[in-house]
Amino acid sequence: MIELKNVSFAYVSEDVLRNVNLAFGPGVTAIIGPNGSGKTTLLKLAAAIYRPRVGEILIDGVNPWSASETVKLLARRNVVYVHEKPIMLRGSVADNVAYGLRVRNVPAEEVAARTEEVLELLGIKHLAHEKAQTLSAGQQQKVALARALAVRPKNLLLDEPTANLDKNGWETFIELIKELAREGVCIAIATHDRLLAMRLADRIALVENKIVTFVESPEHTG
Amino acid sequence: MWQEVAEVVMRSLFISGTATVLATSWSIPIAMIITAKESEFRRALLDVANALVAVPTVIIGLVLYLLFSRSGPLGFFGILYTPIAIAIGQAVLITPLIISLSASVLRETRSGIWEMAVSIGATERQALVTMVAESFPKLLTTILLGFNRAIGELGVALMLGGNIKGFTRVMTTVIALEVSKGEFEFALTLAGILLLVTFAVTAIVRKVSKTA
Ligand SMILES: Nc1ncnc2c1ncn2[C@@H]1O[C@H](COP(=O)(O)OP(=O)(O)OP(=O)(O)O)[C@@H](O)[C@H]1O
Ligand SMILES: [Mg+2]
Repeated sequence: MIELKNVSFAYVSEDVLRNVNLAFGPGVTAIIGPNGSGKTTLLKLAAAIYRPRVGEILIDGVNPWSASETVKLLARRNVVYVHEKPIMLRGSVADNVAYGLRVRNVPAEEVAARTEEVLELLGIKHLAHEKAQTLSAGQQQKVALARALAVRPKNLLLDEPTANLDKNGWETFIELIKELAREGVCIAIATHDRLLAMRLADRIALVENKIVTFVESPEHTG
Repeated sequence: MWQEVAEVVMRSLFISGTATVLATSWSIPIAMIITAKESEFRRALLDVANALVAVPTVIIGLVLYLLFSRSGPLGFFGILYTPIAIAIGQAVLITPLIISLSASVLRETRSGIWEMAVSIGATERQALVTMVAESFPKLLTTILLGFNRAIGELGVALMLGGNIKGFTRVMTTVIALEVSKGEFEFALTLAGILLLVTFAVTAIVRKVSKTA
């Protein structure tokens, strides 16, 4: 669970988000709003990538910005943010997917096993030895998601995760997220994909004019 | 003549190579500090580096000459007119260039790679290592450009090296000297080799930046 309390944030001088109060609880929170309204900013604040100008964020009850380096690291390791434009490291797809496990010093056999497992899950096992940076946008998006899932985060923040996916990829993604939600993972998805919001969202947060408001919970249609 | 040519070329490569290693050893960390966080001070530092990129070599030469000369504040080292002085001078000369270029490379990687690394659970140190590893080909390019500027400059080598035969003569100073003596053959040979070295480095730069 990630909570934002009275959070305001500015890149330069003017606030992009003002006095935001919300919680990403278990299940799926869809974040909608026009281009440039601050959805990405909101997710990066929740992931403790950006530090709020005022207010606090709590990752499973811990404020990473007032904690020691060790506690901050542990808090951050409970949440993964996946960029809207996939960030690929040099090296193979398998290397990319293994990155989060390697920085945690997970033993090599387990890294291999979990990497294979998530590649399978996303249907990209055949890409394991390809150079990640030469893949298509949709393939890279799957690799980025696989990398996030490999570390089994309790909180998962996805930025436009379906932007480049084909029909099959889209369906696979929806099923995957539903399964994670059933397992109790707290998931927030910034998206312009209305169908996705309808199929997945337990709550919808609207970002507009620097503020965040919750809209009525939609009825699940899927 | 060929023995002297070989000796001068080797000395040039060695001195400018040393200068490049020296400059890299402090410029990359400074660039990392500049890009690690946004602040007025760091931005000012980058502005200064950018402004100094095109500083004339004779000015660096003059300033360091005053520092290293016998009566200067660093005169007690007694390194004026030694290869060490040239290497230090060239290192100072190319420092702003390497800082400026590598800071922009690192800034680019910062928004993407660093954020991704930290978010997926890397410590800040691991994230920094990943950032540098990922930008390595581009950083190498900036370093090689620095080397090219060092090996091709004249002002520092002349003023701090003194063009002493068998000791501090490098390609550029020999070319200048030989031309002033009317010895064009020697000068042209060295000029050809200097161009070759520069082209070779540029070719490596192009190759490396393609793998990036
Ligand atoms: N690095 C940055 N520096 C300065 N301003 C920024 C930066 N990133 C975003 N902004 C500004 O913050 C505001 C919110 O941007 P953000 O990327 O959060 O929007 P978004 O809702 O994710 O948009 P989109 O739907 O296009 O993804 C925009 O006005 C944008 O110009
Ligand atoms: Mg966005």
